[in-house]
Amino acid sequence: MIPRPTSRCRVNLLWRLAAGFLSLLAFGVVLLACGRSAGVQRKLIVLGLDGMDPELLGRYMDEGKLPNFARLAQQGGFRRLGTSIPPQSPVAWSNLITGLNPGEHGIFDFIHRDPKTLLPYLSTSRVEPPKRALRLGPWVLPLSPGRVTLLRERKAFWEILDGHRVPAVILRMPANFPPVESESRTLAGMGTPDMLGTYGTFAFYTDVPPAGAERISGGRVYPVRVAEFRVAAQLVGPYNTFRRGEPPATVDFAVWLDPTEAVAKLAVQEQEFVLREGEWSDWVVVEFTLIPHLETVSGICKFYLKQVRPVFQLYVSPINIDPARPALPLSTPEAYVRELQEKTGYFYTQGMAEDTRALSAGLLTDAEYVTQARMVWEEQRRLFLLELGRLQGGFLFGYFSGLDQNSHMFWRAFDERHPAYTPQTAAGFARLLEGQYREMDELLGEVMARLDADTTLLVLSDHGFAPYYRSFNLNTWLLERGYAALRLDRPRPADFLANVDWSRTRAYGLGLNGLYLNRRGRERDGIVPPGAEAEALLEEIAQELLAVRDPATQRPVITRVDRAAQVYSGPHLADAPDLLIGYNRGYRAGWGTVLGGFPGVVLEDNREVWSGDHCIDFNLVPGVLLSNRTIRADAPTLLDIAPTILAEFGIEKPPGMPGQSLFAPRPGR
Amino acid sequence: MFGHRIKIDDELFDNIKKCVALAGYSSTGEFVTHVLEREVQRLLGSSGQGPESEEELRKRLQGLGYIE
Repeated sequence: MIPRPTSRCRVNLLWRLAAGFLSLLAFGVVLLACGRSAGVQRKLIVLGLDGMDPELLGRYMDEGKLPNFARLAQQGGFRRLGTSIPPQSPVAWSNLITGLNPGEHGIFDFIHRDPKTLLPYLSTSRVEPPKRALRLGPWVLPLSPGRVTLLRERKAFWEILDGHRVPAVILRMPANFPPVESESRTLAGMGTPDMLGTYGTFAFYTDVPPAGAERISGGRVYPVRVAEFRVAAQLVGPYNTFRRGEPPATVDFAVWLDPTEAVAKLAVQEQEFVLREGEWSDWVVVEFTLIPHLETVSGICKFYLKQVRPVFQLYVSPINIDPARPALPLSTPEAYVRELQEKTGYFYTQGMAEDTRALSAGLLTDAEYVTQARMVWEEQRRLFLLELGRLQGGFLFGYFSGLDQNSHMFWRAFDERHPAYTPQTAAGFARLLEGQYREMDELLGEVMARLDADTTLLVLSDHGFAPYYRSFNLNTWLLERGYAALRLDRPRPADFLANVDWSRTRAYGLGLNGLYLNRRGRERDGIVPPGAEAEALLEEIAQELLAVRDPATQRPVITRVDRAAQVYSGPHLADAPDLLIGYNRGYRAGWGTVLGGFPGVVLEDNREVWSGDHCIDFNLVPGVLLSNRTIRADAPTLLDIAPTILAEFGIEKPPGMPGQSLFAPRPGR
Repeated sequence: MFGHRIKIDDELFDNIKKCVALAGYSSTGEFVTHVLEREVQRLLGSSGQGPESEEELRKRLQGLGYIE
């Protein structure tokens, strides 16, 4: 239920009461920032390129296609960067942020489960509705505020920089929504929801809905009628928790189709604009009324007129939180996101903005998706270059998501072995990834042009990439091996571990790499007693998993199984999956098994456009690390990054942080 | 508009009125609804009220590209 109207309400109240103080506050922030940076001349820039793969990077460098990366590698070195267990972005970036393992920061997967309800949830944040509300007819007025909580724990490295008065700018850091309180300027990244509280829900309006439209994941298809060259429809916004039953707030819009040309005029609230077929709109601000004349909430979206006729097709992006009037906290200080919007224009605020779901659903074509992803890249680049330009001293982090998302979607375009490979896709997009590596190289060139003797540059990725040819349905395997059981009186469950017979289930899979025992005292209906029996069962399952061979290729499906207790330590160890499954290159947890489903077969081809992945054996997908300073570490990992950042500013790492600085100490320290 | 009626004995109702005054609720109805909602949530799980909220949960998760 995002956004919380109560948050909005409080924000508005503050606005009204404190309007006169805002300019003074902003002035104070500027003074403070200047004051904090005045004593720090040293600069450290970290470019975070999600999903940059060392094999591809090395190949393109060897081919002379990435001159700036090659130059940087020559200056300070190029290493494979050990990733997290498992190699998933929220886990990996949390390792980097805290310098600690998942047992300490508590993030083990994109998806966690509540052992008491056995329902999954997104691992990095939690939304809690208001606990008290007043009901007046159809209206429900919250009397206590709702809350959004960041579930990643332990100090972020920039909180430590704060304590030493080192100014820092952190742009779009994953696993930092809502942003942890800080004196640094931080903008939330991966994990930030759209206005519906989801990771991104697009809308598609058409007079001829495609078959299976109701089952489309990550988006909604709305049937419309074209009458006298006009379409009337509604943008569906956040749930209106001010109204009984919490119906979604909506905004009407209209489309007038040109009778002869492939052109349409759109009218949304007070805004009118014309789109040609195949054209994207700029960001459109939409205001959803929660209480007439009293309470509104603002979002932004983009319209794409895909086709005028013979079939009308209009795509609307997920409705993003408006950075100019954020309904939820997006930055520290709170005004920072507004400042970024004022200086660079509107931008996607949702965590993962490339609309991979619309491409997977076939509602955007490859070329249309590439255009949309390119807009995301341009926005991220603009934000980063703004901050690069005004970096006087201190720390700057910039995050870029494009390589990761496009590696997921276009591996099939250059790998002929992929089940989704087609010559047509290859003809158009085989070199798409290479092109994006080149764009990263150009950005790197811009950064390197600004380096001086006081500036250290680190370029890194959280993990590499691999093909995703075949799906392994872990829960189905557990079922076939007798470790899990289903209730015979009900249909086979689609997901959420529904219809599992917990009285006969000893283990279950949830998330992309996790296997849990159905432990007595932990799970709601746990049957496996703790102690020797649980340990023996884990060993037995691990050995059997390592012995699984793909009948189609005779290759091992799983190359590594880690016991949580052996690779994690810390207060959250008990929350971790009991086993971390490391799939072989080419394999991944199947689509149906991730949310606790039991598909019909154990192994199957992955024919989806989502064709590359990294949620496998962590040894097979290291990230990259390059610097303009000599990297002395032979086998660096993500856990070394926080100590390195601190050391660059002469700050000792806190006790318990296991990593080491990548660099030799500076003379005179 | 008026919802459902539930019978409560006098002694309990008096205690409810005391709680309303002590905790600052605006009415006995608001207090009773709040307590019942909390209990329903506890019994049906943290996600809320059964199949409908599972659908909400599914929507929230689906934007994540890694799942269907």
